[in-house]
Amino acid sequence: MDDVILKIDHVSKFYPGVTALNDVSMEIRKGEVRALVGENGAGKSTLIKCIMGVEKPNAGMIRMQYNGEWIVNNDALEAQSHGVFANYQNVNIAPDLSIAENYFLGRQPQNGLFVDWKKMREESQKIIDKFEMNVDPKAKIRELPLAMQAMVTISKISVNDDIRLVIFDEPTALLENEKVEILFRFIRELKERGVSIIYISHRLEEIASICDTVTVLKDGTYVTTGNVADIQKDELIHLMVGREMSDIYKIDHQKPGEEILKVEGFSDSEHFRDISFTLHRGEILGFFGLVGAGRSEMMRALNGVEKHLCGKVILKGKPVHIKNPTQALSCGIGFLTEDRRSDGCALQLPIKTNINMNSYDMISKLGWINLKQETARADKYSKSVNVKTPSLNQLVGNLSGGNQQKVVIGKLLCRQPDILIFDEPTVGVDVGAKQEIYKIMESLIAQGRGIILISSYLPEVMGLGDRLIVMSQGRITAEFDHEALQTLTEEDVLKKASFESR
Amino acid sequence: MENRTAIKRNSAIKTMATRTEFTLSLIIIALFLFAFFFTKAFGSPYNLTNLAKQGAIIGVLAVAQTSVIITGGIDISGGSIAGLGCMVMALLQTTTNMPFPMTVLSCLLVCVVCGVINGIIIYDLRVPPMIATLGTSTIIRGIVKLLCGGLNVTFVDERILSIGTNKLFGFLPVLTLFWIGVAVVVLLLLKYTTFGRNLFVIGSGIEVARLSGIKVRKMHYLVYAFAGLLYGIAAVMLAARVGMAQPGTGEGYDMNAIAAAVIGGASLAGGRGAVTGTILGTILMVLITNAGTAFKIDPYILDVTTGVLIVFAVAMDMLKSRKKA
Repeated sequence: MDDVILKIDHVSKFYPGVTALNDVSMEIRKGEVRALVGENGAGKSTLIKCIMGVEKPNAGMIRMQYNGEWIVNNDALEAQSHGVFANYQNVNIAPDLSIAENYFLGRQPQNGLFVDWKKMREESQKIIDKFEMNVDPKAKIRELPLAMQAMVTISKISVNDDIRLVIFDEPTALLENEKVEILFRFIRELKERGVSIIYISHRLEEIASICDTVTVLKDGTYVTTGNVADIQKDELIHLMVGREMSDIYKIDHQKPGEEILKVEGFSDSEHFRDISFTLHRGEILGFFGLVGAGRSEMMRALNGVEKHLCGKVILKGKPVHIKNPTQALSCGIGFLTEDRRSDGCALQLPIKTNINMNSYDMISKLGWINLKQETARADKYSKSVNVKTPSLNQLVGNLSGGNQQKVVIGKLLCRQPDILIFDEPTVGVDVGAKQEIYKIMESLIAQGRGIILISSYLPEVMGLGDRLIVMSQGRITAEFDHEALQTLTEEDVLKKASFESR
Repeated sequence: MENRTAIKRNSAIKTMATRTEFTLSLIIIALFLFAFFFTKAFGSPYNLTNLAKQGAIIGVLAVAQTSVIITGGIDISGGSIAGLGCMVMALLQTTTNMPFPMTVLSCLLVCVVCGVINGIIIYDLRVPPMIATLGTSTIIRGIVKLLCGGLNVTFVDERILSIGTNKLFGFLPVLTLFWIGVAVVVLLLLKYTTFGRNLFVIGSGIEVARLSGIKVRKMHYLVYAFAGLLYGIAAVMLAARVGMAQPGTGEGYDMNAIAAAVIGGASLAGGRGAVTGTILGTILMVLITNAGTAFKIDPYILDVTTGVLIVFAVAMDMLKSRKKA
C-alpha cells in the first residue's frame, strides 16, 4: 500500500455533550478523488478540521505520507507546508485585500526589497483566465459577489507549487452550473498530477460525476467506503441516513386555522425583493434557499433587526410596522436566529437568565425583579422544552448545541408568541436533539401557533413543512402547497433554488 | 453522560466563581494580620481610619467601573469627570450665592451629563469605549483647567470639609460610609433589578440583548450616566478629603479603579463582575500600599507589586475564559 497518502486511524473527537467523531478509520490514496458524505452533524467538518490540524483528535491519529515518511500535521500552517489545502467557505481569504494579494498572501513575488506588483498581477491574471472568472485582479474581495468569492478561494489553491491533498468542503454551494464545470476541470487536472482530493457535498449527482470512491459517515461514525460506480444513489441516501427518512420528520400536523400573518411586497435595498406570503395557525411554513438567497435577511427585517424599504405586514388582520425587535416581541413574534452562539443565547450567563431574558418586564415591578417568579418561570419553560441540565444556574455555554437551542426556544415561549420563526434550528445539533426539537414544533402547532421554518437542509423543510416556499437571489421562485409537497422531489426544489431559474 | 459532565462542570464553575472572592479574602486577612502584629505603625487607630478613607474614593469609582465593565465596556474618564464635578462645585460655592445643596446637585448633574455624552459617543458614534472615554477624559480635563485657570480653588463651606473629617461612632469615617452606601445600592441593583440583569445580558452579547428586546441604546446611556452619577459622588468625596478643587483632582484614579474591579473578578470581555469582588479588590490594593508603607518598603516596589497583581488577575481571567471556549 505504498500509494496511501493519508491514514486516519481510529480517530475520535468529543465536544462537551457531543461526540463528533467516534473511532473513524479510513485511507486515501494518491490521485484518488474521495467523496465524503453524511447528514449535517455526521462529523464531516470535524474530520476535515482534524486532517488540517486545526482540531486535535481526543483519540487516534491522522498521519500523512510525505516524501516516504509518515508525519502528523499539528496545525494548518504545517499542513499547508506539506501540501495539504482545504477550501472552506470564505474563511481563508482576506476580505479587504485584492484578488491578487489574496492569491499571493505570504508569498508575494519580490523585486529586491519590494513586492513585485507587476509580476503578481500578471500571475494572478493567468489564474483568473484559467478559471474563466473575468474579473480584475485588483478588485477587492469584499466587493465581489459571493459566488465569485467562492471561485477565488477555489482558484487560490492552484497558486501553490506543492499540492498533495486538497479538501473541498461544499465548494458548489454558491456556484452556478458553468462554474461547477470549471471546478471539475480543475479537480481532474489535479488528479492527473497525482493530487488526492477529498470532496464533500450534499449533491449526490456531483459525486457521481467527479468522484472515484465515497465514504459515508453517520452520527460521527464510519459507515462504509465503496466505489462510486458500484453504489446506487438510493443506497447512498439509505447509508447516510440509516433510518427511514420519514421517521425523524414524522410529526402530527394540524389543520391550518385562521391567517395570523400576511406579508405583502416586502423588500429591502439589496437582499430581498417583493416577498409575499401568509401564515396560518397550526401550520409549519417551510422556507428553502441556498446560501445568499436572502431568506435570513428577510426574516431579520421582518423582526425589525434590519431595516426594510417597503412592504406591508398584517398581523391577525391588523397592519403593523415593526421597527425593532422589542416591538416584534410585543407583537407576538418569536425569532430564533440562525447564529445561536452570537445572537441566540448569552453563553456566559446561566440558563435562568437566558430563559427570562426577553420577559423580565413581565415579572418585575418598577424594575425590581421577582426572583421567585424568575426561577419558577425558568423551571417551567426549561421543562416544557426538555432542557437537560442539573441546575438552572448552569451556564448556557456549557450545554450541548441541542440544549442551547432548547433554551432559546424556551426563552421565546416565555412571551407566548403566536408566530415562531425558526431559522436553521437544527444546525450543529445532534440527531437525538434534532428529533426533540421537531417534537417541540409538533406541540407548538398543536397549541395553535404558526411556525416559519427556514432551513438549507432540504429533507428537513420538505419533511416538516405543510407548505414550502423557495427563494433564490432575494425573490420567491416557487411555492408548493401540501398536495404538491407529497410528490415533490429534491431535484425539483433545487432547480427552483438555483441561480438560473430567475 | 451529558448530564454527568454538565454537573461536574457546573460545580467546577461554582467553585471558580466563589474562589476569586474566597482567595481575595484570605490574602487580605493574612496581609492585615501580618502587618498588624509585625509593625507598630499599621495597627494605630489613626492609620486604620486612614486606610478606610483611602479605600473609599477608589472604592466608589471601582464600583462604577464594575457596572460599566459588566456590559463589556470600560470608562477611563471617571477621574476627569469627578475632577470637573469637584471644580464646578468649588467655583459655585466660592463665586456665587447658590445654596449649598444646589451646588452639590449641580456637581452630580454635570457628572451625569458627562456620562450620557460618553454613552452617546460609544453607542451612537460606535467609538470603542476605551478610545471614547480617553477622548472625553482629555476634553474634560482641559475644561477643568480652563475653568480654574490652572489654579486651586479652596472650599470654604464647613459642610464639605466636615464630610472629610467626621466619623460615625468616633471611628467610622463618613467617607467610608459613602463607599458602603454606594456599594450596597449597586449590589442590590445588579441582583434584583432588570437594569442589572440587562447589563449582564449586554455584556454577554449585544446582539443577543437586542434580539431579546432589550433597549440597547437606552441601556448604554443609562449605564454610563449611572457611572457618571457615582463619579459625582466621588467628586464630593474628593472635595471633602482634600478641601480644595485642583486642576488635577481625580487624576490617576481610573486605572486603580479598573484594576480593583478586575482583581475582584470582573471580566473585561463583559458579562461577568460582582460588587463584592470589586470591594475586596479595592481593599487589597489599598492594603498593599498601606501595609507596605508601614513596613517601610520602598513605595516604588509597591507600585511594581500592584502592577504584577493586575497582570496576574487579568491573566487568570483570560485563562478562565479560554478554558471555557
